[in-house]
Amino acid sequence: MYKYDAVDKAIVSDRVEQFRGQVSRHLAGDLSAADLAPLRLRNGLYMQIHAHMLRVSIPYGLVSSEQMRALAQVSRQYDKGYGHFTTRQNIQFNWPELADVPDILKDLSNVEMHAIQTSGNCIRNISSDQYAGVATDEIIDPRPYCEIIRQWSTLHPEFYWLPRKFKIAVTGATEDRAAVKFHDIGLEVVYNDNNEVGFRVYVGGGLGRTPVIGKVIKDFLPREDILSYCEAILRVYNLHGRRDNKYKARIKILVNAMGIDDFRDEVEAEWQHFKDGELKLHDIDFETMQAFFPKPAYEELTSGDDRVAKWRSLDSRFKAWYDNNTVDHVEPGYRIVNVSLKEHGVAPGDATDEQMDAIANIAEKYSFGEIRVTHEQNLVLADIREQDLLEVWKELDQVRLATPNIGSVNDMICCPGLDFCSLANASSISVAKQINEKFDDFEELYDIGEVKLKMSGCMNACGHHHVGHIGILGVDKKGEEWYQLTVGGDASNDAALGTHLGKAIAKDKVGDAIGDILDVYKDLRSDDERLLDTFRRVGIDPFKEKVYSEEA
Amino acid sequence: MSATKTVANRAIKARAKATPDRIQKDIISAKAIIDQKIVDNAIHHVAETEELTIADLPEGDISVPMNMWLDHKAELQARDSLVAVQIAADEFPEDFVEEYAEISHIVLPMVAHIDGRSYSHAFKLRTRFNYDGEIRAIGDVKYDQLGFLTRSGCNAFELPESESLEVALNAFSEMSDVYQPSADGAPLIFSRRRTVH
Repeated sequence: MYKYDAVDKAIVSDRVEQFRGQVSRHLAGDLSAADLAPLRLRNGLYMQIHAHMLRVSIPYGLVSSEQMRALAQVSRQYDKGYGHFTTRQNIQFNWPELADVPDILKDLSNVEMHAIQTSGNCIRNISSDQYAGVATDEIIDPRPYCEIIRQWSTLHPEFYWLPRKFKIAVTGATEDRAAVKFHDIGLEVVYNDNNEVGFRVYVGGGLGRTPVIGKVIKDFLPREDILSYCEAILRVYNLHGRRDNKYKARIKILVNAMGIDDFRDEVEAEWQHFKDGELKLHDIDFETMQAFFPKPAYEELTSGDDRVAKWRSLDSRFKAWYDNNTVDHVEPGYRIVNVSLKEHGVAPGDATDEQMDAIANIAEKYSFGEIRVTHEQNLVLADIREQDLLEVWKELDQVRLATPNIGSVNDMICCPGLDFCSLANASSISVAKQINEKFDDFEELYDIGEVKLKMSGCMNACGHHHVGHIGILGVDKKGEEWYQLTVGGDASNDAALGTHLGKAIAKDKVGDAIGDILDVYKDLRSDDERLLDTFRRVGIDPFKEKVYSEEA
Repeated sequence: MSATKTVANRAIKARAKATPDRIQKDIISAKAIIDQKIVDNAIHHVAETEELTIADLPEGDISVPMNMWLDHKAELQARDSLVAVQIAADEFPEDFVEEYAEISHIVLPMVAHIDGRSYSHAFKLRTRFNYDGEIRAIGDVKYDQLGFLTRSGCNAFELPESESLEVALNAFSEMSDVYQPSADGAPLIFSRRRTVH
């Protein structure tokens, strides 16, 4: 993975001291709470319902064992012994004291981590495919491009006070696991006819109050131009994006208002001024960066280890875990292991300090000391030898990280909701628990198959409900928590927004409504259709009829 | 503000005046920071109102809204004191390219420091229009904005009276390195690493 050089170290270390200064000026009364707010946000520090919340950046979700241990230590020393992994592949701590935060950041800087731009109206963490480098459908490794964009966008002086937050994602595989069409800028790797690497560029996608699927602004952008083209988009957005209404300030609103063609014209005109200038990248830049992401020292193995077949036949729990939580690897004899952070009864995405330490150790022992965070709030051990799977499973199981539910209804994305977040209208975590309890029969879950269930506690959509195969949105009705359901959303290549099911559902009926939706699916599915496929074939009506039938 | 397309040769007659993005009250500061030094300041920044006329302008060094400059350039140039010109956040530097040779000081009024448009204005003035006069940020400009405003092309600042200029000078030395070019001409980090290899 990327290792800091003297420049990276200086920048991160200076930023820690700068933030220390900002906090001490505030505590001394020389910097008002109002003036501190946008500054602390740009360093990942929010004010939540009960306390401050610190979001630490995990660039494109890649974290080393050493870094994971440092995160565990932060949670122990400064927090309540757990952290929450987010849909932007970051981690957040819910209980730090303001005065401790500079020290936390100092500790993290020792392991090359920071909280820069994890919040605020600036360019956020670059997100990517959690299977980068090991996916069987990978065209090109996106990580070097992510790191190049990360460095360019870090403390960019001109784009620190944008109309609204700005998110960039990169995918290098056939299957889009990074949801690039739901980002302010989405970059999808493509080859042109001359076999040159470039990117199809999407702009103006996003979730939130106004979900929009990103539009193609450029079919082929040569890879040497990614920084200058992003800069042109950012400058047009910085100057023309709305600033009078924060709910209409994202770039998606600007692109829709101008129309993609006029927006493209504006960007292209801006780009012409500097496209061949200092921001142009050279082949050596990509080679240098790619060298930070070498193929690990794989052993020469063959796939289909006999022992795995034997373990699967002997132990149904291992079999369930293998079938649901592991994925084919590009290298023979290896598998990708998903580590579920969706244990029943635990807030989705949460991990304790003990679990973080354990996963760091397991990664060190079996997976070249690297872990990935997924935007679905799980972790990944990318390089597990098939012959080690039983041991890895046992070690994960010991710390309750082997729940065999990846891709199932119980593997839901969920925001912190009313339990923590000052924006939320309704709780998410308690509804997640209700769903967990209703669907505790794993055989039934496996029969239902892949269902991406995504839940947000308010219309800001941190839980990505618009693109859930089943989406749940918490709303406040006269002080009561109600939930609106959608069906048929999809964040992947066939990007789609969910269709509204009908009027909102009472909190204690959400689990039943999900049950009804899945019953309809089981009745109507043909062959190996997923819920999403059945929905696309039959539409919303059968689901609607069933869910609301009892009230008729 | 709505998302309208930039029209390079927009009719000057149709230019908006006294929008919420213009300073609403005159600004007069005793001190300024210029080229990272605290100096006495004499410029009186005149706010744009619908009623403002050239007869209202005070004596001495002033900055005027761009509209005033475009409408009364000859009279303003006939004054025997400094006349700086304001470019507000909702104006576009590319609309005034012919003017820059005659303007020695450009003022970027910041109504709210979280509005980043003036950073792009400063950047364009320096890198695209090769403006080498003073670019001064005024209004809601404090310690924590000085570093990035400097990188974007500003070299002069006036801070609200409540702010300590001495403390604010630290802003210029907080960051010892940068990753990307801006109006400061810093190289892209990757081009520096290229030379190492």
